[in-house]
Amino acid sequence: MSHIRCPFCGDRALREFEFRKTLPGSAATPLQSVYFRQDHPQVSVEHWQHQSGCRSWLLIVRNPSTGSILRTDLLPEFPT
Amino acid sequence: MSNNNIGAPRYCAATLLRARLARRSPWRRLWGGAVLQPEYDVVIVGAGGHGLSTAFHLARDHRVGRIAVLEKDRVGYGNVGRNTTVVRSNYLLPENHYFYEDSLRRWETLSTDLNFNVMYSPRGVLDLATSDDDMTRLARRGNAMRLAGIDAELLTLGELDRFCPELNPTASRRFGIVGALLQRRGGTARHDAVAWGYARAAAAHGVEIIERCEVTGLEVAAGRAVGVHTSAGYVRAGRIVFATAGHTARIGTLLGASLPLETHLLQALVTEPVKPILNTVMVYMYPGHGETYIAQSDRGGLVMGGHLDGFPSYTREGHWDRLQDVVAGAVELLPQIGGLKILRSWAGTNDMTMDGSPIMDRLMYDNVFLNAGWCYGGFKAIPASGAAFARFVADGCAPDLIRPFRLSRFESGHLLDEPGAGPFPVRQ
Amino acid sequence: MSAPHERQGTRLAPGSLRFSFNGRALTARSGDTVASALLANDIRLVGRSVKTRRRRGILTAGPEEPNALVTVGSGREVIPNIPATQLIVTEGMQVRSQNTWPSPGFDVASVLQLGGGLFSAGFYYKTFFWPSWHAYEPLIRRLAGLGAAPRASNLPSPAVEHFACDTLIAGGGPAGLLAARTAARAGAHVVLCEREPFLGGELEFEPATLEGLPAGQWIGGMIGELRRLKVRLLTDTTVVSNDGDRYVAHSEPGGLPGRNSVYHIRARRFVVAMGAVERPMVFAANDLPGTLLLGAAERYLTRYGVRVGLNAVIGANHNRVYPAALRLSAAGMRIRMIVDSRGEASISDAATRDFREKLIRSGVECLTAHSIVAAKGRTEVRGAEIRAIAGSDPGRTVDCDCILTSGGWTPVLHAADQGGGQKSYSDSLGAFVPDNQPPDRVCIGAARGSFELAALCNEVVRTFARDPESAEAVSVSGGDPTPQWLPFWMPEAARSREKLEFVDFQNDVTVADLRVAVEEGYTDIEHAKRFTALGFGTDQGRLGGTTGAAILAHLQERPLREVGASRLRAPYQPVTMRSVAELRSGNRLRATRVTPLHDWHVEHGAVMESTGLWKRPRCYDPKGAGLAEAALKEAKRVREHGGIADASTLGKIEICGPDAASFLDYVYLTKASTIAVGRSRYAVNLREDGMVLDDGLILRLSSDRFRLTTSTSHAEHMLSHFEFWRATAWANAAVAITDVSEAWSVIAIAGPKSREALARSVDAESAMKVAALRHMEFASVTCRGIAMDILRATFSGELGFEIHCPPDAALSVWSGLIGDGWQPYGLDAMDTLRIEKGYLTHAEISGQVTPYDLGLHSQLARDGDFIGRELLSRPAFHEPDRPRLVGLRTRDKGARLNGGAQIVLASRRSESRGYVTSSAFSPALGEWVALGLVSRTIAEGQEVVASDPLRGTQTVVRVSPCVHFDPSGTRMRS
Repeated sequence: MSHIRCPFCGDRALREFEFRKTLPGSAATPLQSVYFRQDHPQVSVEHWQHQSGCRSWLLIVRNPSTGSILRTDLLPEFPT
Repeated sequence: MSNNNIGAPRYCAATLLRARLARRSPWRRLWGGAVLQPEYDVVIVGAGGHGLSTAFHLARDHRVGRIAVLEKDRVGYGNVGRNTTVVRSNYLLPENHYFYEDSLRRWETLSTDLNFNVMYSPRGVLDLATSDDDMTRLARRGNAMRLAGIDAELLTLGELDRFCPELNPTASRRFGIVGALLQRRGGTARHDAVAWGYARAAAAHGVEIIERCEVTGLEVAAGRAVGVHTSAGYVRAGRIVFATAGHTARIGTLLGASLPLETHLLQALVTEPVKPILNTVMVYMYPGHGETYIAQSDRGGLVMGGHLDGFPSYTREGHWDRLQDVVAGAVELLPQIGGLKILRSWAGTNDMTMDGSPIMDRLMYDNVFLNAGWCYGGFKAIPASGAAFARFVADGCAPDLIRPFRLSRFESGHLLDEPGAGPFPVRQ
Repeated sequence: MSAPHERQGTRLAPGSLRFSFNGRALTARSGDTVASALLANDIRLVGRSVKTRRRRGILTAGPEEPNALVTVGSGREVIPNIPATQLIVTEGMQVRSQNTWPSPGFDVASVLQLGGGLFSAGFYYKTFFWPSWHAYEPLIRRLAGLGAAPRASNLPSPAVEHFACDTLIAGGGPAGLLAARTAARAGAHVVLCEREPFLGGELEFEPATLEGLPAGQWIGGMIGELRRLKVRLLTDTTVVSNDGDRYVAHSEPGGLPGRNSVYHIRARRFVVAMGAVERPMVFAANDLPGTLLLGAAERYLTRYGVRVGLNAVIGANHNRVYPAALRLSAAGMRIRMIVDSRGEASISDAATRDFREKLIRSGVECLTAHSIVAAKGRTEVRGAEIRAIAGSDPGRTVDCDCILTSGGWTPVLHAADQGGGQKSYSDSLGAFVPDNQPPDRVCIGAARGSFELAALCNEVVRTFARDPESAEAVSVSGGDPTPQWLPFWMPEAARSREKLEFVDFQNDVTVADLRVAVEEGYTDIEHAKRFTALGFGTDQGRLGGTTGAAILAHLQERPLREVGASRLRAPYQPVTMRSVAELRSGNRLRATRVTPLHDWHVEHGAVMESTGLWKRPRCYDPKGAGLAEAALKEAKRVREHGGIADASTLGKIEICGPDAASFLDYVYLTKASTIAVGRSRYAVNLREDGMVLDDGLILRLSSDRFRLTTSTSHAEHMLSHFEFWRATAWANAAVAITDVSEAWSVIAIAGPKSREALARSVDAESAMKVAALRHMEFASVTCRGIAMDILRATFSGELGFEIHCPPDAALSVWSGLIGDGWQPYGLDAMDTLRIEKGYLTHAEISGQVTPYDLGLHSQLARDGDFIGRELLSRPAFHEPDRPRLVGLRTRDKGARLNGGAQIVLASRRSESRGYVTSSAFSPALGEWVALGLVSRTIAEGQEVVASDPLRGTQTVVRVSPCVHFDPSGTRMRS
């Protein structure tokens, strides 16, 4: 894993991006959403920001055992 | 029960001499050879530092009869053999510094306690400051340690220069050094020796260490855990301890327990060996998320590490960008090592908790115990963790030393957030 | 063993050079490595081994060299551990032996050899208990550690280049070259990295004919063809790591850092053609100087015209030994004997039989089913002891001056073992080979275990051709027969000899050590490696790793595949730290951020400090006085007369849109929606877990537009934090976030006359606006026609204003005020002024305090949801001994208060009840004042002790209100 495909900017070097957190499995309570994580060896659903680029926030699904990126989506950006 | 290293000799110069002269080698296997039994009083999952140390203390101090340590790989193949070997107790929060100080005191006698030279080397741990604010933060920490009776010294530039002339503290740097916090009793130990030493000592007290035996499930009846399923079959167990470090999240998945953990990767690297060049452990943290810590092993290689890679990983393969930054920090600190070569890098998987402190508690069932969340600091904790956790498992009541590390602290707010980084492990 | 001018070799150039070895002046030919030059000068003893101080010479002709590591240079700036085999001699080069004193021939510490078996593997773990390991450490550390420690280094940064290609090939032997040509012909953009300075790999020695051309000509033609095909050829360059599709390659011409290059290469496909490493054979005293790899002997001969000995005994287990022996013999070396460990029946190949016949006819004794069991000689090889493998052969000794061995080859797996690749054991090769590689990686040639030239060439062509069916076959004839080795790991020998049978030369790991490992249960390679240090050397197990694993397996009668091979790691070749750091060092370790007034500060004698990446002035022109005194003077001057400060490093963010106010209400604890347009408010925000995150000001520019300031150190994080919530919980809201930190410079002016001064500096029509500003109000003004904002707010507790101006106007505004008689003050003075006033410095916002702790109860009474709200109700945050922000004053007015002192009760000095967050000597009050976070159980007015054992003080302090100076705030409201 050396690059992430930003939906706006295309393929960019990993160091342009900043990982924030792995999402919790269930975020029913504030405690869960702040402290608990769905830490799974094969599927990790994560928030990242293209910090040194367009600054979009991304939802990235990765396999942390291989480093491969399974999906990269823009977090909802505009009023729908 | 097969006491599997009976007849093994005591380690001492006389035995070495005997080995040199005798026709038959006196050496015996340190552990292993046990066959998985259908039932144990205590089953410990994970033959790393914490699991083995817990087993040793359960057997030696609490006389628990039948103990098995189940290991999916081999003894010491996890983080106990992948860390940068630093031992210290220079923590700010009382809950932490009392615990790690208990551990450091045990390090001081560990070699004789285990009859295995773990090469504890109290060469000092230096936290370098690059600003007056850093000095204030370090002073806060050092003073907190001193109140607790733990050694700490705040070094001015002049004192730093005398303690560690190779650093040349007044040299021009992007982030110049202004002083340091020193814990002289901190230092290093030989990591593999710790795993082997505990395994040997535990085996000598009758603990059965079963390697290549992976736990695949927990059997529950009437609200209690009654046994574990393993790759070698089902085992009944009175009490079950999970001490699986970087694989804690898998245990969570196995049990259906949600844990305040993220699994991250931490790299380390070592240079070719050279004659003594650095006689202490240095930690250099600087703005822009910079961190390098460096020590020279007894073999002569400079061992270095820094921050986590920055995103969850189970690969045990670090990212070159991070390695580069660690090396850049090292060369900035000690320009004289710029011409040395890096031989090898490696990585460990770290179960990072949401406040950067470990979890020692029951998990879901009254007789299931979790020893986890050691983040990147588990190595130095091994002696205290094993002793206190063994008491917990034996008595069913957590000793004061480890009570603060309960799982419910996130709910109650009794957080042990040493750097104040909040629930973001990559900033811990 | 020939005079320099007589030597002929492919790597030699005309001309000779002088260099020194251990102070002795020697002559080399241009192009020589230190190893070849030493051999040419009849020097075989190069250094001593690290653990037992045995004499060591040159074993290899490549980067794996375990013995002949040398230190280059003199004085402080030495570079240790350079393989003499890689180091190209330059004029005047100073080379020294390692691990030896005073000389390799007479080494004082060689008494260690008398210890013999005492120092077997793991003996460190078994002794040194009393009094403590640390007592022995200094001596042990001095004995360990190969080369000398450099005391200085002035290496330049490497040249760094980034590029992309379709196919990256690591290795320029026949497989790599053919892969490059085929892929390039198929239209790919190809880059090829070769570790050696020349291309061709093994073809350099093999008299094969490829595509109708002798190997040498074929390589030449190939290079021309590759250049025409625009293949980029990087010699002296090794691929060292791989993250996904990004590869890092390092180049170190001449074997010595100084002219290094680093390449970051993105490639769609990675071709591993790194070849294989010849294995030395194991027998007693196989480390005596004069014992070399057979391949090394050929290399020294072909490349440098050096014969490594005149009377050779060769031990091997494969076919290639026979043609190689013929070549050495043709060059004038006398081959005394060839000892093939295989049975006669294994030599079935006709070509090999021919070579063997020729050798026998020329008088070379060719034994099969025999092995070398020991090297003879005290200081270097004088003979070889030979014995039949089966039966009870008493053995015999053959006189010789060199022993050349070749025990088969180990594919170089470093690249194949990373990035998801695996390896598996091949019985026929007695080696691990790549297995289960990721789809974008191809292993070819010897690196994947293919050793038959014709077959591997055609396999490569089929792999890389656009259409494998119609790929043109590569005709190969002549050359050496396929080696077809039968693994032979070690001779059966008396136990007493095992401690001289070296498996890993550099770490002195012998068969005896592996036996101890097995006896103690270190039965897998990973355990045995860590226990014995097998494979920990500079070759990272390339030479002896597989042999060690095989012997480990043999000793326990287990299959090798069960014992396993240890995981190989990046870097694939050792790389110089300075090159790995690339451009990051000194001022380029991190970027430097400066404000538009930076040059002014520096010109006016400011002492600059780093805050995050920023440079900020601490104080101005301290001259002889210390920093503290200068800052004190500045703080005093602000209170008495006023002053100006550069506050441009504050983070500035604009939030706008119809939902801006409600968004801010959510992300701040402080309510922003109730701020009137044209006014501002001090505001605090919380982290998700309820802890205070940052503070700053919110300015309401219009009903739907706000400007926030953040602290300098949190600016970047705050922007991301807001953007995160904007993209998640507020995804459907009409709110935009813009970083305007660089769009506004901020100049703070404070002092009783600041209002008049500002009114004078702005344009006439704006003067009235300035004069009318109330506390926390701001107005847009023009100053020499430039639009800017003036906010009446204070950092110091004085009547004060912030001028938010465009950066290119900052210097003129600042200079205007200076011209008007205002004096600058730095950050140290600002901190003093803040502490006097009880304003938070960043030290209080430690990430460990709640808004309750900081006394923000009134803000918490607000309605609506905000970040951190739910978790604030956790019981721990409301316990009676939670800290709260207080002021601290000393009982003894002369006493000093240090930040970081712990607060304790005089009666219980071991229990912390809080700590001093920040402190300063107050010029206004003439005493030390401080802020602290102190347990709520300690009442205001109570006396406690500020305990600072680190600096040796115990100061009695009284808990006071936070505001030490002008508590009613009359000055700032004046």
